[in-house]
Amino acid sequence: MSNYALLSKDHHSGLKIITDRGQAYGDNVMHSMTFALEFRDIQSCYPIFFCKDEETGTFYSTALFGLEQDHNLFLSDTGWDATYIPLTVRRQPFLIGFQPAPENGETDKKSVVSIDMDHNRANKESGEQVFDSNGEPTHFLQSTIKILENIHRGLEHNKGFIAALIKYELLESFKLDITLNDGSKHQLQGFYTIAEEKLHKLDGQTLGELNVDGYLQPMFMAVASFARVRTLIDKKNALLDG
Amino acid sequence: MGLKQLNPMNDKIQNLVVVGGGTAGWLTAGVIASEHACSSGNPPDGFQLTLVESPDIATIGVGEGTWPSMRSTLLKMGISETDFFRECSASFKQGTLFTGWQTGAGNDTYTHPFTAPHGYAETNLAPHWQPQRDNINFADAVSPQSSLFSGKLAPKQISTPEYAFQVNYGYHLDAGKFAEFLRKHCVEKLGVVHIKANVTGVNTADNGDIASISTDSHGTVAGDLFIDCSGSRALLLGQHYKIPICDKNDILFNNSALAAQVPYNGDGDPIESCTLSTAQTAGWIWDIGLPTRRGIGHVYSSGHISQERAGDELLSYITATLGAKASAGVSLRKVEFSPGHRTKFWHKNCVAIGMSAGFIEPLEASALVLVELSAGMIAEQLPASRAVMDLVAKRFNEKFLYRWDRIIDFLKLHYILTHRKDTDYWRDNCRQGSIPDSLQELVTLWRHQSPWHRDSQHVDEMFPSASFQYVLYGMGFHTRPNQTVRRSELTEQKIADRLFQENAARTQQLMASMPTNRDLINKVYTYGFQKI
Repeated sequence: MSNYALLSKDHHSGLKIITDRGQAYGDNVMHSMTFALEFRDIQSCYPIFFCKDEETGTFYSTALFGLEQDHNLFLSDTGWDATYIPLTVRRQPFLIGFQPAPENGETDKKSVVSIDMDHNRANKESGEQVFDSNGEPTHFLQSTIKILENIHRGLEHNKGFIAALIKYELLESFKLDITLNDGSKHQLQGFYTIAEEKLHKLDGQTLGELNVDGYLQPMFMAVASFARVRTLIDKKNALLDG
Repeated sequence: MGLKQLNPMNDKIQNLVVVGGGTAGWLTAGVIASEHACSSGNPPDGFQLTLVESPDIATIGVGEGTWPSMRSTLLKMGISETDFFRECSASFKQGTLFTGWQTGAGNDTYTHPFTAPHGYAETNLAPHWQPQRDNINFADAVSPQSSLFSGKLAPKQISTPEYAFQVNYGYHLDAGKFAEFLRKHCVEKLGVVHIKANVTGVNTADNGDIASISTDSHGTVAGDLFIDCSGSRALLLGQHYKIPICDKNDILFNNSALAAQVPYNGDGDPIESCTLSTAQTAGWIWDIGLPTRRGIGHVYSSGHISQERAGDELLSYITATLGAKASAGVSLRKVEFSPGHRTKFWHKNCVAIGMSAGFIEPLEASALVLVELSAGMIAEQLPASRAVMDLVAKRFNEKFLYRWDRIIDFLKLHYILTHRKDTDYWRDNCRQGSIPDSLQELVTLWRHQSPWHRDSQHVDEMFPSASFQYVLYGMGFHTRPNQTVRRSELTEQKIADRLFQENAARTQQLMASMPTNRDLINKVYTYGFQKI
């Protein structure tokens, strides 16, 4: 379970974060949340799909790393074999939140960083220092905060992106039948993809509006990313053959 | 004999007038307008649907329970299930829990869940369940649904798309809010014209049809087909055409009801998954859980119990379930009705839907589903011309007379299997003379063979044989073992064993994964259901 605490130099002076990739650090996941502003980088490595948050039923976009629960095909003993690792993976074990900041005005909020102290990455022995000896944020923490801010910005933008997909009924559920080299048959289900035909049939004005909002390009990126499913199947077959 | 000359110009049926704006009126308007596009132009340019509603008469608001059919009815009307939940105080109804019907003892319960027995399309589990009837009750053996009742669990999750389910469901709803919700949808989305006026007269054409109705504030309203949704007053079919009522009080004794709306003790109190139907000394008490309140009422036979005693039984039920404080605060509303239906529903160019067509105790929530089915048939077979209207009317009358008979048979079945002898009411219910021959024949047959698809005479039978199985075996009915060794049942035994096991596994899985009704409805308020 998670045990989040507000990050502070007083409480976390000796804290270090392990940045290696591995199963012990929670990286052996089937997929991880992503957002439209990240699709360009994601589609170079992973298929982009959509799925529902179990608690709310709302849609989010996600990058697929494997074909079954708790199995990341990019992860091996030597690390995470891909040119790009999604921001929601790289943020671990930190979270960004917001608190009212009345000193800056009644409705103003300031960002605060929390850390999951039960996460295996958090320790005092090895990894990147979070605060330096003067109690100042290290370069590592500064770049992590940038990641968190990018995620926050990306998720805010993604709300409109998802709403547009729903408004124009561009999401459809799909099942993917996969036959592996050993003859075993599998079905990937529970995910949604962009209905390409419907996307092509949108009128010029709608396409223009989607473009202005920055939604159009990621839609086509998500469509194109489907080809990356082949990468996953190849990796799965390689495991069987190996 | 011979060809009849028709006037194709003036003969088209394209101007429908619904009289009455309760749930029946608006549901009828919505079902028809979701099939036939209303045009903005006036006839003869296109189809038009007008609903005339009295601003002075409050709707009675009967029928707070629906069948699963309501899901497809709402979907077809283009209604968002999320909006429906948010605006109609709706909750999930997965069936009925009957208490006290068999012996009247404390542990005397059975369920009629909406989900058919597992594998029902091909395999009849009833004969295979019979040998183990002392170990597990029928509903639990064949369906996972009743297990959800006790946990007040929902039939789906927030990630399940709207109108889809893990186990089948209908709704409980606030009838007043539902009528208003449908009105808005019909007027704003489906092009139904809404006139608020009192009907003051009916104007007849030469052929005996209704040419128009006169109103107090809106002149005359002409139409090609008039749909009487004016409730028990039956302004058109009853008062104007004097179509008599076929009285069924000799079969179904209940003719009075005392109804109450009872608040929960706390906002977070659980919401029931089914209608609770608890037998009394001369009737039964319904208990329907909405998110906002419970609707509780006693429907009884005035020939067997006084209003005062019926009220006492209702108040003691409320005290027992919700506490003395809840029972002290309630006000009871009296409703009287003559159980029965019109001898025909469609006469000339007038058809009655809802209480104008008939009314019967709400034991299997047949009121709203009859509105859906009636409006659905009119929408589907809307006569193209006056000349064919009489043919459609004949079919309509045959179909719905048959359906009323089946409803009456099915409701009566709930009473005749009882072992209760504590009051005249229960003894009278088992009297041969009060049981229709059609039902008596079925029960006689079912002593030797369990209900099965062969018992359905029509493809669109209201009560499938599965419903009869749930009530029969829930009430402890015995179908005798076969006289001969049936080879078909021997080969089916393996399939049946597998189905029983699958059902047990599915029950476990649903019990572990379904949210409570309260939790899910709160999530619907916050996040809504997705359409896919």
